[in-house]
Amino acid sequence: MDIDVILRVIAFVGAVVVGLSALQSLVAEWPKKGLDDHVTKIMLALLALGCVSVIFVAFGIFPGIAGPTKG
Amino acid sequence: MATHAITVDDATYQEVRDQRLLGFLFFLISDVIVFSSFIYGYIYLRSTVMAWPPPGIEPAALYMAGVNSIVLFGSGATMHYAMEFFKHGDKRKFVGFMIATIILGIGFLSGQAFEYFNLLHAGTTWPSSIYGASFFTLTGLHGFHVFIGVIYLITVLIQAQKGVYTQQRYFGLTAGALYWHFVDVIWVALFSLLYVWK
Repeated sequence: MDIDVILRVIAFVGAVVVGLSALQSLVAEWPKKGLDDHVTKIMLALLALGCVSVIFVAFGIFPGIAGPTKG
Repeated sequence: MATHAITVDDATYQEVRDQRLLGFLFFLISDVIVFSSFIYGYIYLRSTVMAWPPPGIEPAALYMAGVNSIVLFGSGATMHYAMEFFKHGDKRKFVGFMIATIILGIGFLSGQAFEYFNLLHAGTTWPSSIYGASFFTLTGLHGFHVFIGVIYLITVLIQAQKGVYTQQRYFGLTAGALYWHFVDVIWVALFSLLYVWK
């Protein structure tokens, strides 16, 4: 099997597992009111976003964003 | 040398803890500014060239970076679980998740070293192009933070084993968790910029 396919599968499975864990932790953290709890919530949400980004990469949807016009 | 335990009442401790937390958050904000400066530099440099990476320069491998990212993100999840288990007094699971976090952090650094080796072998070096310079600067700065984080987590784990922290007083652990989450989140931005942005 092509090494890229193996890496994409590992990335996808890992991203799903970690992303769901982050979301689960975010839900559990949600009622807490401390300053560090609020920061943790932001961090967990961004972590889940990172996992979504990796899922898109695994499916080949990313990279597909055009950069700014050159020249 | 004799050591003296400093005992303070809960109200004083809470006040000191809040001040420490605020100070630590200011430190994290200052680190965000450092990374933002480098990221701005990267975006500026990238937008001034016709092709990215420049012709003849080997870019970093996307899927390998994806797997490495998940290793780091996974360490963020294990760090969170370690904190939760500590708060609930389950020391065995706390130690297990802390060790998992440290191993995943070392795994990420190893993956980055492997990536550097491949890039250097392919001729993408720091002075070879603006791509190489900005890539190694940004990932190197982040890798240094991960390295410091791993040392910090090992220190905190040893301290926890020695009984420095209790279920009521564990600011060192909180700071470690926040720092580790910060390192994760910075990588979300760097991964998007360096690998995903086409």
